[in-house]
Amino acid sequence: MIMNKQEFLSSAGLQVQTLDLWLEQRWLIPEQTSAGANFSDMDLARAQFIRDLKADFGVNDEGVDVILHLVDQLHGLRRALEQMHKDIQGSSS
Amino acid sequence: MRNPYEILGVVPTASSADIQKAYRKLAKKLHPDLNPGDKAAEEKFKEIAGAYDLLGDAEKRKRFDDGEIDATGAERPQQHFYRDFATSDHGHPYTDSSGFADFMDSDDAFAELLRRGERARANRRGRDLHYQLPIDFAESIAGANKRLTLPDGGTLDVTIPPGLVDGQILRLRGKGAPGAGKGGPGDALIEVEVLPDRRFTREGDDISLELPVSLSEAVLGGRIRVPTPTGDVTMAVPKGSNTGTTLRLKGKGAPRRSGGHGDQFVKLKVVLPKPPDPELEAFVSHWDKGKAFNPREDSTS
Repeated sequence: MIMNKQEFLSSAGLQVQTLDLWLEQRWLIPEQTSAGANFSDMDLARAQFIRDLKADFGVNDEGVDVILHLVDQLHGLRRALEQMHKDIQGSSS
Repeated sequence: MRNPYEILGVVPTASSADIQKAYRKLAKKLHPDLNPGDKAAEEKFKEIAGAYDLLGDAEKRKRFDDGEIDATGAERPQQHFYRDFATSDHGHPYTDSSGFADFMDSDDAFAELLRRGERARANRRGRDLHYQLPIDFAESIAGANKRLTLPDGGTLDVTIPPGLVDGQILRLRGKGAPGAGKGGPGDALIEVEVLPDRRFTREGDDISLELPVSLSEAVLGGRIRVPTPTGDVTMAVPKGSNTGTTLRLKGKGAPRRSGGHGDQFVKLKVVLPKPPDPELEAFVSHWDKGKAFNPREDSTS
């Protein structure tokens, strides 16, 4: 589902100041269109993750920065592993 | 659901600080987004999150302790975690391959495999870009050429096909975001909004229009000019027409997908001259038959 900023704020349960800060930090990178920013379900899940980190785990902003960077790398690695898994299966069959 | 105290591993007399501490300790280990490869993490996390929803809230905890509510209903609703999207094959802005960049530099087969995967990603097609374009009603029926100004200052020429309906999405191939490497660009998807018109309304392929006619045109009939979305046409008003009389202009509606056109329906509305005309008043006051006619006879009896 594609959401505009207003819809995203209500879906994610965020204040506009909070979201603006997260966008500024590039923790969230919505798609830019002529009608403004378009947020995806992926952005929503990522916002939820950031919220869990800050609200439930007591992580501060610096910590969120570090965690997101490591998690993004982890997913990059997982993707590379998955691709390799596919390649190996493809070449052995 | 199990006893929430057991789930969090605290005694029922634990302080709220202890409960929070216990929850954080478990959640850090079990949050699905911190354990992307652990399928079981999601169920376990949901269980402790549900327990914490109940015990982390002083009010709810008291009601639970008093036996007013039980642990059911404390389960969290279905939630999509970030990890469900992050490894998807579609490119996304959070992609980061710096975690294995060093491995790709060597000459062996392992590095080659990694590089192949990166190349596949590197040659991915560009994203589709979404735009909105408002057009006039007449343009939606007759078709038009529009120019869309993009946020980056560029422009896109959009051909509106005749008969387009509100909300229709036009796809301009290759006009989206540029692809990476050999991957071609994405498409531009343009959602067209047809602005409402104060004269015309559309229903399916047919168009309706309310058209004022003079008393003499209504009584004596005549040829009048009628606007259509594709320009004015001449139409014959039959003698003795009335307010509400609907005339059909065949083929003047919206184009049909199967070929041909819908019709335009013209609903007449008789309008008396303004300001009131003394001659007309004099005529009507001497017009006995007119006074004898009661148009409400059918409806009021």
